[in-house]
Amino acid sequence: MEHLSASNLYSYYGKSPVLQGVSFDLKPGEFLSVLGRNGVGKTTLLKSIMGLTDSCRGELKFGQTDLLKCSTPQRSLQGIGYIPQGREIIPRFTVRENILMGTFARADGKRDIPDYLFDMFPILREFISRRGGDLSGGQQQQLAIARALAMDPKILILDEPTEGIQPNIVKQIEDAIITLNRERGLGIILVEQNVPFARAASDRFLVLDKGRVVLSGTSSELTDSVVEEHLTF
Amino acid sequence: MDVVFNQVFAGLSFASILLIIALGLAIIYGTMGVINLAHGEFVMLGAYATWALQSFAGIGVVTALPLVFVAVAAVGWIIEKGIVQWLYHRPLDTILATWGIGIILQQAIRMGVGAESKFVRGPDWLSGNIEIGTLVMSNYRIFVIVFSVAVLTGTWLLMTRTEFGMKLRAVIQNRGISECYGIEAKRVYSVTFAYGAGLAGIAGALITPLFSTIPTMGTGLVVDAFLVVIAGGLGSLVGTAAAAMLIGEVTALFSIVINDTLGRIAVLAGIILLIRFRPRGLFPADTRR
Repeated sequence: MEHLSASNLYSYYGKSPVLQGVSFDLKPGEFLSVLGRNGVGKTTLLKSIMGLTDSCRGELKFGQTDLLKCSTPQRSLQGIGYIPQGREIIPRFTVRENILMGTFARADGKRDIPDYLFDMFPILREFISRRGGDLSGGQQQQLAIARALAMDPKILILDEPTEGIQPNIVKQIEDAIITLNRERGLGIILVEQNVPFARAASDRFLVLDKGRVVLSGTSSELTDSVVEEHLTF
Repeated sequence: MDVVFNQVFAGLSFASILLIIALGLAIIYGTMGVINLAHGEFVMLGAYATWALQSFAGIGVVTALPLVFVAVAAVGWIIEKGIVQWLYHRPLDTILATWGIGIILQQAIRMGVGAESKFVRGPDWLSGNIEIGTLVMSNYRIFVIVFSVAVLTGTWLLMTRTEFGMKLRAVIQNRGISECYGIEAKRVYSVTFAYGAGLAGIAGALITPLFSTIPTMGTGLVVDAFLVVIAGGLGSLVGTAAAAMLIGEVTALFSIVINDTLGRIAVLAGIILLIRFRPRGLFPADTRR
């Protein structure tokens, strides 16, 4: 299994560097939470992994592959499943088509949708022929996760998956993320505002501020004083 | 009354050719947001390719159709790769660039082949007419109508039933996330542009036995095709088909009542009125981007 690592990574929108010398490391099957206040570069970090910012410098590797030399589609074919902020499911595709779209990033070219997705999110089976745009926010988030899983990824990167979602579905999504990590062995990078969930779910965490990593450690080191200093406004 | 029926039929066959041209234009605009002002010249290239195949290789119009499609699609692919793909983030410049490409193509044909009109013979096996009472329908025009319906159906199947079509629809709705799921948007764009150009080429081939083949033949046709796209509503195959029929028929019928020039003016005025009350065309797709 591959190891995702960044060292001294700079990422730019136009000429302004949003990430400034970020280094981190995700071992196979590890769960890493990325924390920080608004506008410190958490989303940009995930976008940089997918190659969605204007340009990047430094080093970003997945196993032996130099991701900075790969286009966005090539990165997805490496087995990196991206679940963006705001979900970005395709509104005029049915639920089925949205999930099928995930399989386009399978390296083996297969087009089957794994059954366990529907056991994990039964609502998707029920709404299989509805259009993605007609689902509620929480259902769309489940769909976005299912789409990423359909590509049979090695790691998942999730951007605030429970933001703005009704509370009963939040719990389902959090449980699903933990199950995927513990039982299916997926490596996970989670951008999250919810500190208690990050503490309970992750192996390690890092805190970003102004585009730099200001703190990192194991989840037991994510104490209230850390939260007080870096995460409260 | 006989005149009316015959004009309706002539209008239908013209509308069919317009439909194929407009389809290519609409697909290119709908996917990439590029207003392709060289589209008329793709039609013209198709016509000249058909003329060349007939005069130098003895290949008839119908047999030439697939060859012309491939040839003009290849030209479109090269133009997309060489010029248009660099301008996707500058939509206004694509208008200027494709206009320039059009002028270059037109002038290249004028210098290489000559400005005089070329003659292309229609296929012998479609030379007769079918007469129903006083309505005289030429077999070739019937073939054109049937063929354009086949092209429309084929395009619809391509968009809705194939994996390429699904990737295309995904890229149209959200390019960024499509790329995050393994879809090579650049490749989708090249193939789409080539397909649109190929359709224009087919229209050019079909029109040769009916129109004179001259270097400027595309200009007038592409204006009508733009009217079709605007009136039909973007991103809608049904709208494009309906608007092509409407404009083809209205043009044909007006030219009985009043002369051609006044007929054109009436059609344009009609479209201005339509756009006033339905700014997004007859059958707009629900959203884009």
